Amino acid sequence: MKIGLFYATGTHKTASVARKIQQEFGENIADIIPIENASQKDFEAYSHIIAGSSTWFDGELPSYWDEILPELSTLDLSKKKVAIFGLGDQKGYPDNFADGIGILANEFLSRGAILTGETSPEGYTFNQSQALRNGKFLGLVLDIENQPKQTDERIKGWVKQLKEEFKENKTGPEDSFIC
Amino acid sequence: MKKYDINNTDKETLGKWYYLMTLGRALDEKAPSYLLQSLGWSYHAPYAGHDGIQLAMGQIFHKGEDFFFPYYRDMLAVLSAGMTPEEIILNGISKATDLTSGGRHMSNHFSKMEWHIENVSSATGTHDLHAAGVARAMVYYNHKGIAMTSHGESATSEGYVYEAINGASNERLPVIFVIQDNGYGISVPKKDQTANRKVADNFSGFKNLKIIHCNGKDVFDSMNAMTEAREYAIEHRTPVIVQANCVRIGSHSNSDKHTLYRDENELAYVKAADPLYKFRRMLLRYKRFTEDELKEIEAKAKKDLSAANRKALAAPDPDPSTVSKYVLPDPYQPTKYPDGNPKQDGEKETMVTALNKTLKAEFRHNPNTFLWGQDIANKEKGGVFNISKGMQQEFGEKRVFNAPIAEDYIVGTANGMCRFDPKIHVVIEGAEFADYFWPAVEQYVECTHEYWRSNGQFTPNITLRLASGGYIGGGLYHSQTIEGALASLPGARIVYPSFADDAAGLLRTSIRSKGFTLFLEPKAQYNSIEAASFVPDDYEVAFGKAKIRRPGNDLSIITYGNTTHLCLNVAEQLSKEHGWNAEVIDLRSLIPLDKETIFASVKKTSKVLIVHEDKVFAGFGAEVASILGTEMFRYLDAPIRRVGALFTPVGFHPVLEKAILPGEEQIYKAAKDLLEY
Repeated sequence: MKIGLFYATGTHKTASVARKIQQEFGENIADIIPIENASQKDFEAYSHIIAGSSTWFDGELPSYWDEILPELSTLDLSKKKVAIFGLGDQKGYPDNFADGIGILANEFLSRGAILTGETSPEGYTFNQSQALRNGKFLGLVLDIENQPKQTDERIKGWVKQLKEEFKENKTGPEDSFIC
Repeated sequence: MKKYDINNTDKETLGKWYYLMTLGRALDEKAPSYLLQSLGWSYHAPYAGHDGIQLAMGQIFHKGEDFFFPYYRDMLAVLSAGMTPEEIILNGISKATDLTSGGRHMSNHFSKMEWHIENVSSATGTHDLHAAGVARAMVYYNHKGIAMTSHGESATSEGYVYEAINGASNERLPVIFVIQDNGYGISVPKKDQTANRKVADNFSGFKNLKIIHCNGKDVFDSMNAMTEAREYAIEHRTPVIVQANCVRIGSHSNSDKHTLYRDENELAYVKAADPLYKFRRMLLRYKRFTEDELKEIEAKAKKDLSAANRKALAAPDPDPSTVSKYVLPDPYQPTKYPDGNPKQDGEKETMVTALNKTLKAEFRHNPNTFLWGQDIANKEKGGVFNISKGMQQEFGEKRVFNAPIAEDYIVGTANGMCRFDPKIHVVIEGAEFADYFWPAVEQYVECTHEYWRSNGQFTPNITLRLASGGYIGGGLYHSQTIEGALASLPGARIVYPSFADDAAGLLRTSIRSKGFTLFLEPKAQYNSIEAASFVPDDYEVAFGKAKIRRPGNDLSIITYGNTTHLCLNVAEQLSKEHGWNAEVIDLRSLIPLDKETIFASVKKTSKVLIVHEDKVFAGFGAEVASILGTEMFRYLDAPIRRVGALFTPVGFHPVLEKAILPGEEQIYKAAKDLLEY
């Protein structure tokens, strides 16, 4: 299984989380792809994609994601498993908590991806979030501002979950890799 | 599919946008340097961070169809709409050739009235009411277009923004309210303004209102949002709010220092979201332009800015000898009754009847007249005092209609509607009673400023009627007479008739005149026998002409409104009891003031008593007394006396009202003292 870990390497918090995710998967499992310079081919090269993003302002994708999306307009993600992690601030931005995850999820789903890595919203307090759908977060939500002590534990649990979900044969032979 | 994205937008358009954004940013960054060189532009509110939405606003503005009300941060918006960098600099450094005002209005207030890029107040958000007003005219005259108004998110905390959105929603007016949300009102963060970070969602319960959220930092998202907004507003004839999320990369203005309240992380965060650099990166990433091509555009922008700068610097400065121009436009000049007296006698009419008949006659005379106010038209009811009775039935509900209980909306939309065409003349009942006019004082100020601030380019043709004054047992909130407070604001004529004929004559002149007139009606006289008089059907009275209601040689009593009648009674008493002949001058117009008639009387009598219903302290009589003290001192044989209300509110109980408002007893005593002096 090839995992592409897409995030902005120039960031601080998101990059720090991404490196921890990479470590949890173990050596040489997940390749880091800087989103600032990524192309459609990079996404096509991986059967499993992990995408990380914070949420800017009142519920926007950061520029580095925003700028690549038009390039991905013809990207076909069908049969690919995509998991998303994102950072949010429950106290500062409770009305658009980790919206970036939801926005990215919509983008990937519209390109045929199989979304994996949903998590429970228990333990979080907020008003609204585009990351929340059918009672679940569409990915891993981390709040470094308000719940920093839970970050490592959440990452560990999520990676463990992904290892299982990535193994599951939901879409056919291409997903039968063992990590 | 979105209309605009980086792949499908043609190269010429992308190049034009990049040129405008580069030129705009260069101008935005250059503006503070003028201040450093003491060349002006002492107020500059940088727009950097609002680039996407401002480009889009200008691009969707249809010259000849739309009206645009930009706020003080909309430099790129007006540049994108077609204004030149030279025109922008001329405003920035306040030159005589500044299109906005010839240097009168503050820098960073860009307008081009010829194109209907409107001249607006610094009190941002007040122009939302003007947008609603002009959109009302668009609907009435079947004009295809939109009114676009713009400001930050903090302005939505203002009542007048609420009033405008509510009114536009209720009347289904094609207004686009652009909220450029950069998270701050000067240094006040959004959390201190409203509980909802997406402030536009505060209006989500309004009917007939579409709300569009967009990324104001992104050119394509902004273009798509504004294009959709304009099409929707026209097609559905409804208002649209576009909330554009922006960042403020710099301080609020050059009087603000944002490093005092924003940390380094935040400043880095907003810089990382710079819309111009994002657009540039995308042009390169998607291979729509090469680096060399972009540099060529940047060089052209730099060169064009330099040329504009040279031209603007060479422009003349304003001439200080012109400061008194355009305070008030020339009014209608009555010709039929040059002396201001009806030529014949006939059956007397009450003031109510005279006003009602005159309104109807003027609405028949000019089809581009409109009347609205609170409580003025519902079936058989035509105002609390019947002044507008029967008008809606005769002229229809598109010309005569009730306004919401929102005084600022009443006045502000009148101002806005007049912008559509100078042929429009509006009569408004500014409030149910003058006492309730105070919420509209902001728009009153705007009406008084327009002509001067636009250097004579625009004046709203408004007759603002208010039922005023006491003597009806009305207490604190049904007795106020507010001319003293408002007379200090240049830019309004103020008239205050005492008799039915003058009320009719001055109303006709007001409605036919260019400009803004405050028309105060002494409501205690509406149905009084004393104020009733014969009113010729075509009666008209010139502004600035006082009327000698009773001639005399011993004392000049200068008065207006309710107290004219008291003074006439006192003059009669003085004559009967002592043989004194007091001259009673009914001013009728406070602004302009008929100094000629007053001075002639004072020369004759050498003694002056000024009487009005308003408080003596700081009342309008203080100004009259001061003028006489300065200009007519040598003719005076006694100190000028004033009689008016005590410096208290008006009490409700009749004995309190009597103790507070001036009565014949006080007037008689003061007159007698002067005559015996």
